[in-house]
Amino acid sequence: MDPSAVPSGVLVGLLTLQLSVAIHIVFVSTTLGVGIITALYRTLAVKRSDPFAEVFARRSFRIMIVSELFSGVWGTIITVILAGFFPGLVALATNVLFTPIAVSIASILIRIPSIAIFWYTWGRIKPETHMLIGWIMALSGFGIPLGFRTLFSEITHPQAVGLYLSSGHVDPLTAYSNPVYWPLFLHTIFATISLGGFIIASLETLTKDVRGVSIGVRFGLIFLVAQLFAGPLYWYTLHYYSSYIFQNVTFGDFTPIFIIKMILVATLLIVSTYTWALTSKLNTTPRSTWSLGLIATAIVVLGEIVNDSSRYPYMVVTGDTGISATAFSNFYMDIPLSVVYIILGFLIFSIIVFGLAAYYAFVKMFVREIPEEIEEKIFK
Amino acid sequence: MSDLSPLLHLSALGIYLHAIFVSLTLGLPLVIISLLVKYARSKDPVYLNSVRKVTAVLAVNFALGAVTGTLVEFGLVQIWPGTILAIASFVLAPLALELIAFANEIVFLILFIVTLGRIKTLYSIIIIVIYWIFALFSGLLITSVNSWLVAPWGTGGVAQALYPFMPSYGPLYTDPAKLVALKIILLASGSPIQAVIQMPNVSSEIGVILTDPMTALLSPYALVSILHNLFAAVIIGSGVALAAWGYRYYKTGDKRYLQLIKTSVIPVFILVLLQPTVLGHFMGEMVVEYNPTKFALMEGAEKTFYNPLVALLAYGDPNHPIIGFDQFYAQCDSKKNVTLKDLASSLGLSKDYLLNLSNKLGISINQERLDQVLNTSVADVCRNDLDAALSRMNIVHYSYYTKIASGIVAFLSAIAVVPVLYNVPILTRIVRAILRINSENSEKRWIFILTLLIFLGGVLSAALGWLVREVGRKPWTVYGLLYPSEVAPASPIAYQTSFILAATFIVLVVNLGGLFAMYIVATRELRFLDLLKRGLGIRG
Repeated sequence: MDPSAVPSGVLVGLLTLQLSVAIHIVFVSTTLGVGIITALYRTLAVKRSDPFAEVFARRSFRIMIVSELFSGVWGTIITVILAGFFPGLVALATNVLFTPIAVSIASILIRIPSIAIFWYTWGRIKPETHMLIGWIMALSGFGIPLGFRTLFSEITHPQAVGLYLSSGHVDPLTAYSNPVYWPLFLHTIFATISLGGFIIASLETLTKDVRGVSIGVRFGLIFLVAQLFAGPLYWYTLHYYSSYIFQNVTFGDFTPIFIIKMILVATLLIVSTYTWALTSKLNTTPRSTWSLGLIATAIVVLGEIVNDSSRYPYMVVTGDTGISATAFSNFYMDIPLSVVYIILGFLIFSIIVFGLAAYYAFVKMFVREIPEEIEEKIFK
Repeated sequence: MSDLSPLLHLSALGIYLHAIFVSLTLGLPLVIISLLVKYARSKDPVYLNSVRKVTAVLAVNFALGAVTGTLVEFGLVQIWPGTILAIASFVLAPLALELIAFANEIVFLILFIVTLGRIKTLYSIIIIVIYWIFALFSGLLITSVNSWLVAPWGTGGVAQALYPFMPSYGPLYTDPAKLVALKIILLASGSPIQAVIQMPNVSSEIGVILTDPMTALLSPYALVSILHNLFAAVIIGSGVALAAWGYRYYKTGDKRYLQLIKTSVIPVFILVLLQPTVLGHFMGEMVVEYNPTKFALMEGAEKTFYNPLVALLAYGDPNHPIIGFDQFYAQCDSKKNVTLKDLASSLGLSKDYLLNLSNKLGISINQERLDQVLNTSVADVCRNDLDAALSRMNIVHYSYYTKIASGIVAFLSAIAVVPVLYNVPILTRIVRAILRINSENSEKRWIFILTLLIFLGGVLSAALGWLVREVGRKPWTVYGLLYPSEVAPASPIAYQTSFILAATFIVLVVNLGGLFAMYIVATRELRFLDLLKRGLGIRG
């Protein structure tokens, strides 16, 4: 299909969608990873009466408090963009993928309040109860991609959608038997924990806590290594079930981005191994540690762009062809692009304000509930 | 057709729970601002500590508000997916603009939480005010979306063609031929909208149905609704804090709680005075003009009757009759000889065109069924829908008058509490005499009772007001245009009892758990540092 045949309004919709998904993915991946690490260390704090684990868990969790709601808002933005620009796709997805989407919504319902509750009840309720809330918070987060990743696997290799369009039958579990789904889900989960670990490591450099850095790097590195298996597995699956995307990524327009991503993965592997060796053997943190979170974030962004945009100009890929994005687009009205740009402007403004809040929270240490003298005593 | 009642109840549950948190989201900032202003002037740490506590409650509440908002949003696209057509057209502008509001209210709330007590109080006030403006803007836009469902602005006389008693909804910014063609195809196929719009290329086949994207924001009904709803939310949200402090003052006698009440009561008092007298009145006028069946249901007007007081308030003329369903039926009968086919023909829609269009859209319709639909009398459609509306008269009528009564309770309580708290010449003596306040104990008790009544009166009034708004527009989801069955989901899973039960369970557990957590945050002191110090053997 000729890409130039896509109307400019549809193209703006696709670019806006890609931008929002990329931002959303960074935030949700970070919070999913940080959430599980925090829950684990909160548990260690309770079980071993370990004050360091307590402080580390609470300090790591500041990332969630600052970023989770902002992360969620990008989910809402994606929904409105989808319904506004591609109403046909939303109508089809909410029908065929009713059950997976319901799983995601239920998880969101549990996840977001449990984060706020976990933070604000810390020290106000029994530690064991609090620990349990921590695990509810951490595990409910993974229910979100468990549902929403079916949408991605279905537009990559439409199994449940194909069944519906050919027979009119909606099966609640067909999307989970999609051969693309589980490799993608695994790839996603490893990425989230790895990113969460590296983000923690980078932020721990601000507190100059070698132990904290070491923990973050350990999680980041272990799951990065796991990605060395999950990534190629997903790539191999695409080769079989979504050849258009595979070709586009491996030998097509998206190959340069894919290569940059691979170079960054190699860099991250080297820098994080070096950091891990230094923190565990010499009890010191190399200056390059701060870059771990940034490199990991860049990898996630590039990976998501390659995964999503390589289907262009199709929205749903079927082997080496597909259904154009235009077929699902909104022609019910002329969307005023000036309004779209104004909204994007304000969203960028919100990112700046968020950056300011994050700066005060992490760099200026405004979110510091534990006095420095107590922290010092713990780290000695 | 599947029974839609469980889905309607599930949606109502989600919306009511969302309303609780939205009220706090909009009301607590007023309390925080009042306390911060007082703190800036007095430097009394009591106010800053209270701000911290209210902010912690606001933060947990905001998370719950955000997820219940997500629930309502997904409720629209998943439980009522036919509304996707409206989201992609009539209400896209407010929903898209709401993204600005939502994203920015979140970042300013985070900035406020992170910097509170670390920067100058004036800056904190500015940040929370900006947050509040974005939160109110969000409420404004979402109310305009709901208002479009209640009074579909921009559709001109489309509804009037079927229901002669209905008004024209603003200028015609839509293509009536396309709307009527779609409606006839839905009736003939028995399919919901989702079954049509989910098919690839349907949007380009149907083409433009809306010419002014901003129409939902231009509705006079929306304007009044926005103010009425936002005032109600702020009253309830700030009323919670007043009632909580009233209770603490009553139980402990701690004067600090009295200080806190006095700091926030005046703005709430002003809002409670304005809500029924000004905004409630204008809201009533809008209902009279744009929702004639709802007004008749509210007044119990199965038959037209005279009531000078209601007529004066509603029409500005005490001699005007309260139009009842008898007159609506009579107007329906005026269309006895008009069929849907005549209506379609007047818009240039032939049977062949409709069959051809349904084929293009991938919707199979039986010719016989199409003939049956086209030969239906407009009067029959009109009368059937009036029957469906009339069946809800009792619930709407009694809910409306209970709402009025509870609003009066809140109104009188607000008038009474101010002279109890402040020395207002003459009024204070009168109120204290009526309430027999002659000791500190009786004063404490009455302050608690009155603040509680402001809160409870506001809550009941708002909850029933929303019930009247939603039930009163039935049997339509979009007043005069679409039934719930037309926007219902195509997926059979949505109707399964297991889904409804699971969804209800999760919604209740999360929301009730969240409310309990807010209670803990509001009532228990933070012992985190003490516990940590004790564990480390640190004294002091």
